[in-house]
Amino acid sequence: MQDTRERQIIGEGGESFLRRMEGETGVTISSCYQCERCTNACPVAEFMDVKPHQIIRHVQMGRPEVLLNSATIWVCLSCETCTTYCPNDVGVAEVINHLRNMAARSSVPPKEKHLAVFHHTFLEQLRRFGRVNEFWLMNAFNLKPGILKDKIKDGTLKDEILLGLALGKRGKLHLMPRRCKGVKEIRELYRRKRGELP
Amino acid sequence: MKLSFYPGCSLEGMANDYAQSITAVFDALGIDLIEIEDWSCCGATAAHSLSEAMSVALPARNLALAEKMGLDVVAPCANCFNRLRYSQQMVKKKIVDIPWDLTGDIRIHDITRFLAEPEMLRQIRERVRRPLKGLKAVCYYGCQTVRHPSITGFTDYENPQTLDLLVSATGAESIDWSYKSTCCGASIGIGRKDIQETLTRRILDKARQAGAEAVVVSCPLCQSNLDVFQRGVTEGSLPVFYFTELLRLAFEEEPDARWFKRHLTDPVGLLQAKGFL
Repeated sequence: MQDTRERQIIGEGGESFLRRMEGETGVTISSCYQCERCTNACPVAEFMDVKPHQIIRHVQMGRPEVLLNSATIWVCLSCETCTTYCPNDVGVAEVINHLRNMAARSSVPPKEKHLAVFHHTFLEQLRRFGRVNEFWLMNAFNLKPGILKDKIKDGTLKDEILLGLALGKRGKLHLMPRRCKGVKEIRELYRRKRGELP
Repeated sequence: MKLSFYPGCSLEGMANDYAQSITAVFDALGIDLIEIEDWSCCGATAAHSLSEAMSVALPARNLALAEKMGLDVVAPCANCFNRLRYSQQMVKKKIVDIPWDLTGDIRIHDITRFLAEPEMLRQIRERVRRPLKGLKAVCYYGCQTVRHPSITGFTDYENPQTLDLLVSATGAESIDWSYKSTCCGASIGIGRKDIQETLTRRILDKARQAGAEAVVVSCPLCQSNLDVFQRGVTEGSLPVFYFTELLRLAFEEEPDARWFKRHLTDPVGLLQAKGFL
């Protein structure tokens, strides 16, 4: 039977997205020849909807909508295995990280809501105290819209409370956050960089 | 010898036992670790995930403080170490504008690599009072200590040796295995617990298959992740040690079981069975 899928060629959809990504990341994305070494080396490839080598292909083909809507950009651990083993020196992890930055600034709802909200909460805590206290971070995260409800539903909240108690008993939980006295400098930095913050 | 010390948020929190054992080991070696005054968080995974510019700027404040002290930095947390190094490289390339004065000339040391230098290793061997003979352990480096090599400077990133050298120096046996630098998934635990558990289970299974009785780490996130995962497991659990805990144990004449009370996977039984406590 004849394959009726439409065949696309690199450059057909325009090269502007590829050029933009190459410029912003400094990675030569065009030199990928789809050997799939990145995907084979990735410890979490099985949990990704778009595999690492496919991410690179979609960039070459100019399909930002597929990329920003993928779970992959949130699931990636930035463990750098892909980049380390790429025979063509393509910074796969850097490309995925840059897409995550773009998604965070876009209006696209993140495919992995909890992971995205957690990163935001972390940066908020940093802005507040200059350092991050694990107990305060978890509490702030749980109070974000919808998080607590999800956690009660799947039982992780109960696990978390039990773990918190076990850690408290061992003197590993610090209820009072330590502050950095230079937190004003940090807040000033956030103001200066607000164009680059999501 | 004097060095500046960047503990990072973890060592103030869940990894306070790591911080204590580091102090004990550096004291024994006669090295002054001077904490960077009023350091701030490096931004860790969150900063680079959401804003590349912030991930360069946040660690830079600490580098500027260390430069003012005129001392090289030791950063025991793998993630902090990686972010500090990355920031320094980017600042040198002048890609990101930062509000602090920075030349980028001080050295940022990974704690294992610093202590595994031949001269340090010799001093460590000299200070071992009670060799940990008979303890079989695998060394687990995690991802952030060794990768990407252009950031971390690890040329043997496929089969790193620093922790193995240090564990051998205590008299314990470091077993060769293939999962030294496979990511443990600590950073994804909040949000995708299923992924974290798959990765953590894989590492612990492989460690057991290699014949290990314990896992030795240098990263506070790896430690808490591997340790917490085995909470409540009674049979076949593997205690997860910071390498500095083992060094301290080998250095001291009269070890104290209380040093290990902060572990969730209790290592005291194993240490007593081996006659170390």
